Amino acid sequence: MAKKFKILIIDDEEVVLDSCTLILAGGNYQLATAKNGNLGLELTKEFQPDLVYVDLKMPGISGLEVLERIRELDPNIVTIVITGYATVSSAVEAMKNGAYDFLPKPFTPDEFRLITQRGLDRRKLVLETIALRREKEMLRENFAAIVSHELKAPLGVVQQNLYGLEYELEDRLTEEQKEKIGQMKSKINDLINLIHTWLRVISVDVKKLQENFKPTLIPIVISKAVEIVQPQAIRKNIEIVPSVQEPLNFVNGDEGTLVEVVVNILGNGIKFSREGSRILIKAEEKNKVLAITVSDSGIGISKEDLPYIFEDFYTGDTGQIVEKSSGLGLAISKRIVEAHNGSISVESELGKGSTFTVCLPVQ
Amino acid sequence: MNTQKQLLIIDDDPDFVAGIKSILEKAEYSIDVAYNPKDGFQALQSKPYDLLLLDIMMGRGAEGVAIARKLRKDPKLRELPVLIITGIREQIAFLFPGQPVHPHFVELDELVEKPVEPKLLLEKVSALLKMAEEKKSQKKA
Repeated sequence: MAKKFKILIIDDEEVVLDSCTLILAGGNYQLATAKNGNLGLELTKEFQPDLVYVDLKMPGISGLEVLERIRELDPNIVTIVITGYATVSSAVEAMKNGAYDFLPKPFTPDEFRLITQRGLDRRKLVLETIALRREKEMLRENFAAIVSHELKAPLGVVQQNLYGLEYELEDRLTEEQKEKIGQMKSKINDLINLIHTWLRVISVDVKKLQENFKPTLIPIVISKAVEIVQPQAIRKNIEIVPSVQEPLNFVNGDEGTLVEVVVNILGNGIKFSREGSRILIKAEEKNKVLAITVSDSGIGISKEDLPYIFEDFYTGDTGQIVEKSSGLGLAISKRIVEAHNGSISVESELGKGSTFTVCLPVQ
Repeated sequence: MNTQKQLLIIDDDPDFVAGIKSILEKAEYSIDVAYNPKDGFQALQSKPYDLLLLDIMMGRGAEGVAIARKLRKDPKLRELPVLIITGIREQIAFLFPGQPVHPHFVELDELVEKPVEPKLLLEKVSALLKMAEEKKSQKKA
């Protein structure tokens, strides 16, 4: 059965309320009316309408204010303004403020039915979008459970038994056999690490993160991150050059995950840089915003790839042989930075290098 | 000659247990296994062990933690060293990259991640046994 939509009409003219009620009578709707803005807002809370008609010109609180208050109550309610004077300018203003449509007075029953139908179609779309978003969240969570239980545990078992087997046979294995076991171990290890990265993306819980926010010193974050990626950098003979422009204020945040962000960006820089190059990491504060910039002179990111690099599982087609990546590091970083009310952005030119900037508000 | 050390493994995944048991047995430890928390606790009360290897994620959730809590309350078992073996790396890995984590569920404990390499496993086991022995001799003295 189709959902019975609820419609609320707020208008000070009784004749409008009556005629609207008559026009919609017999349709698959539930109807409520209010004579002024205050009553209308009360009813909005109680009746929980899908669609609200609001007369712009009413005694008491104005139609525009009613619209604003409805939006505060529930931004997903579709609102349509009824405008009495022959001017559209007030309707335009209302629509700028979120009203979906307008109904000019006087109107014919057909016009009213048509606009109501359009409004309800809009509402259906809004509801579907909400449902889809919720479904996506659930998929994300279920995926976490599946990955963790169905993949990770058996892989761990395989690896553990391989360890055990190799240890038991230690004295009897030939060099060649040891090498084969070594390869198996290393492949399984790659898989386990990949699963950990997936789980990491899914388990960044913004709310929990924010509960543990403390005043954090960014120079410490940077030096810890540099320390973590240093072995990778040394292997490629890449020099990481930090520069901190004191004084810097504290950032209210979580040190561990901020380190993770810087590690991800530096790690990418190393991955996509030529041997023997340099990566600069800079921290400076301007107008209550602390900016961490990481610049490399690596292979850069193409214009086509740039808009997508912060999305889950995105790995650009670099056209060059580089180390493989999970395509998740930047997606995690973006989520972490946004939990800190900050922003992350990138500028890049193919063949010349990339500059990532993380901006964080200071206390 | 030293008497053989008695170790108990509590873990609900028999296949995983096989992978660590063979390593420990080759290193001359005597191993008992319990495949659920209830049997595990019974075993602990039925005979003295030198060390417990405890899985944290068992059953419906972190049932291993419940065992650790019970141990802490038991005056006799409180001094038993425990090596916690866990698969919940995503919660600890980034906070302590490459470092051992001391959860301090009980007086003497250490934590390793699943899967664990033989060398690391044996190091942790012998270090815990040694610490427990030192503690014991201190008390006597």
